[in-house]
Amino acid sequence: MAPLLQAISIGKTYPGGVVANDGVNLSVSAGEVHAVVGENGAGKSTLMKILFGIERPDAGTLLLDGKPVSFTNPREAIEAGIGMVFQHFSLVPSFSVYENVVLGAEPRNGIGFDREKAIAEVRALSEKFRLHVDPLPAVGSLPVGQQQRVEILKALYRDARILILDEPTAVLAPQEVEELFVAVRALVAQGRTVIFIAHKLPEVLEISDRITVMRAGKTVGEVGSSEVTEQSLATMMVGRDVALRVDRAVTAGELACEIKALWVRSDAGQPLVQDLNLHVHAGEIVGLVGVEGNGQAALLDAISGAQPIAQGVAYLNGTSLGPLSTLERRAIGVANIPEDRIAQGLAGGASVAENLVATKLADRRYVRLGLLDLKAIKSNAIALIERYSVRVGGPAQAVSTLSGGNMQKIVVARELSEQPKLLLVSQPTRGVDLGATQFIWKSLTDARDAGAAVLLSSADLSELLALSDRLVVFYRGRLVAAFLNSAALTPETLGSYMLGLATQTEDEMKVALR
Amino acid sequence: MIELLATVISSAFFVTVIRTTTPLLLATLGGLIADLSGALNVALEGQMLVGCLTAVIVSVYAPWYVAVLAGLGSGAVLGLVMAFFALRLKADIILVGFAINIMAAGGTVFALAMATGGDKGTSINLVSKAIPPVDLSFLGVIPGIGPVLVSLLSGHSVLSWVAAFLVFAIWYFLYRMPWGLWLRGVGEYPAAPAAAGIPVNAVRAWSLVVSGGLAGLGGAQLAMFNYVGFARDMTAGRGFIALGAVLLGARHPVGALLAALLFGAFEGLAVVMPGLFADAPAELIRMIPFIVTILALVLFSYRAQRARQMRTLSKS
Repeated sequence: MAPLLQAISIGKTYPGGVVANDGVNLSVSAGEVHAVVGENGAGKSTLMKILFGIERPDAGTLLLDGKPVSFTNPREAIEAGIGMVFQHFSLVPSFSVYENVVLGAEPRNGIGFDREKAIAEVRALSEKFRLHVDPLPAVGSLPVGQQQRVEILKALYRDARILILDEPTAVLAPQEVEELFVAVRALVAQGRTVIFIAHKLPEVLEISDRITVMRAGKTVGEVGSSEVTEQSLATMMVGRDVALRVDRAVTAGELACEIKALWVRSDAGQPLVQDLNLHVHAGEIVGLVGVEGNGQAALLDAISGAQPIAQGVAYLNGTSLGPLSTLERRAIGVANIPEDRIAQGLAGGASVAENLVATKLADRRYVRLGLLDLKAIKSNAIALIERYSVRVGGPAQAVSTLSGGNMQKIVVARELSEQPKLLLVSQPTRGVDLGATQFIWKSLTDARDAGAAVLLSSADLSELLALSDRLVVFYRGRLVAAFLNSAALTPETLGSYMLGLATQTEDEMKVALR
Repeated sequence: MIELLATVISSAFFVTVIRTTTPLLLATLGGLIADLSGALNVALEGQMLVGCLTAVIVSVYAPWYVAVLAGLGSGAVLGLVMAFFALRLKADIILVGFAINIMAAGGTVFALAMATGGDKGTSINLVSKAIPPVDLSFLGVIPGIGPVLVSLLSGHSVLSWVAAFLVFAIWYFLYRMPWGLWLRGVGEYPAAPAAAGIPVNAVRAWSLVVSGGLAGLGGAQLAMFNYVGFARDMTAGRGFIALGAVLLGARHPVGALLAALLFGAFEGLAVVMPGLFADAPAELIRMIPFIVTILALVLFSYRAQRARQMRTLSKS
């Protein structure tokens, strides 16, 4: 059977000389789930943008139904029957579900917008494809999983035969992933074709029929999902054997950080963290599990000083952190790898060297008599670039020109170059490629082994399971479960607590809240 | 005090308020459209001022309605200029807006001097026309309420009726037509309409053009009805008051009408009060509309903040 959609030797070079796609081939048959996997920066997103008409290829051809096509903008791709669900949703928060679905292709009566018809059509679509969502409420009030369904409905409303899902599971809890997969199977059963971009390999193997692997802008190969294992796929993706395993902490040390009856409130006074009690010992990593927005970030902010503690206390080695400023907290050994490296972790326009000493401006080594010691700052940068193998032109290069992985390495280098006593880490490897991920994980465990107490928050459950010695689960600002990490602990178990479907009793939690 | 009350509840005062409100309302509607599309139009003041002068000069040579259209057109052109710099050349839209305001303040005086042969203050030497009032005195035949209707409704500018109709038309456009949905979507979260294939920048450019046109129309009303003729800086901050009225009106056309009426009423007050309080300094009285603007905005943002708090609390 001839493929439905075919991309032949696609080439794309961005202004600035970054070769994103170089002779990429993709062949998708009708009615299959076709996964495209690869590390970040492998060129998956660029290929999808070309398929959807956001970018134009410099070389190569696209064939749809065997006929050459070229899209100059998304509208043409939509008209040809291609729909795309981006990782960051394109939904207007205050608009209702049905308004979002029909936006840009509204049913009309005369010059007016036919709301009744829009609602009816959205109802019919969600019925037909088993994507249950109420058309009336505002999208901003819905949970992430439902918003994603709205995005899929949007594509289906425009009669998409081919649906591109860009890392759809990144934002979902395990149960929501299952629901998404049910919907994907329903789509395929009704003759639609799904292109699934991902880098979480177990999911890829579960949902897809065939897999195209990309690496460094090229296609490495196409395989049937029944023919490969997770390990062989990972090897194809990275081009060498990867060991995404880390060693557990040998022993937990002294109590380092003690959090007692802690409350954190939003600016509007809404409780974000409620009555939290937690101990963190030197030399262990405690994983903070939870769907985003359930209090993990607020806890880290309250301890780092980004947000005030509303009630309760947090001690680090006996010193109460509450009254201290962020700088004073850093001085007694708090280090922070924040969630958003671009907005919170780095000054984009400043140089690598400047960023590497930005938290150390009280340090006599770099600042004397109120003047910067440029020589010392530069040699510090050269040493750290070497030690953390950051790929950068030199210490004077602006941080904003680096790739995500290298930016994150700069943050990690700055925070870990002096051994911290308490390390706060949030989303350390979001948008970072496998090689850098390995390196960052190693840096974190090294800091742990040197005696840091680590609080780790991540949207990636496999990362939490790989790194943490203990895990606590947040739901609506409270701890609902605590576990000692073991091979028996699965994402599904964590998921049911994350979604608030289950709660441990005090006694069950006590075991892991040492 | 009693005299003041008697003045305020008279039908003559109502007519004054409608007159002072009309230019403000037109500019506020312009500000509303631009603001909802996500392109804040801080150049309303300059567009209004240029609208004033264009209308006055054109009216010397052409019928009044051509002059009104010219005022509208001049504002629209300035809106297009704004769109070109802010959207195509990616300049900061606030700075572009201020550049237009500054150019309008200087440029109108320059053009006035050119048109009048050297007068840099007013267009008193030009024989400019006025917008004719709409005569509804035939309503007087209605028994009982006839005379009241006539005193309230007759004699307003054509543009006052147009402005009232525009409140409804813009509401219908924003909430009942697909393009209104586009415009609001573009303003709130441009990535969404962009992904749906809606040309975001074109929507914004049209909004700025319409916004400028409405401000220019407000200028025509100001210089061809409220006053007949041009005077330097005759808009006197109305464009900025209109920006405040957009927020005060909760970014809704009907709210815009109410906010413009509020400010118009205080401006009307500033018009009638000097006659009643002879010993109060006229400068202080003229400050009233501006002080009310500031107070209203402070009160509004305080209330908005409270409302946000209440909302997040009830959600938890």
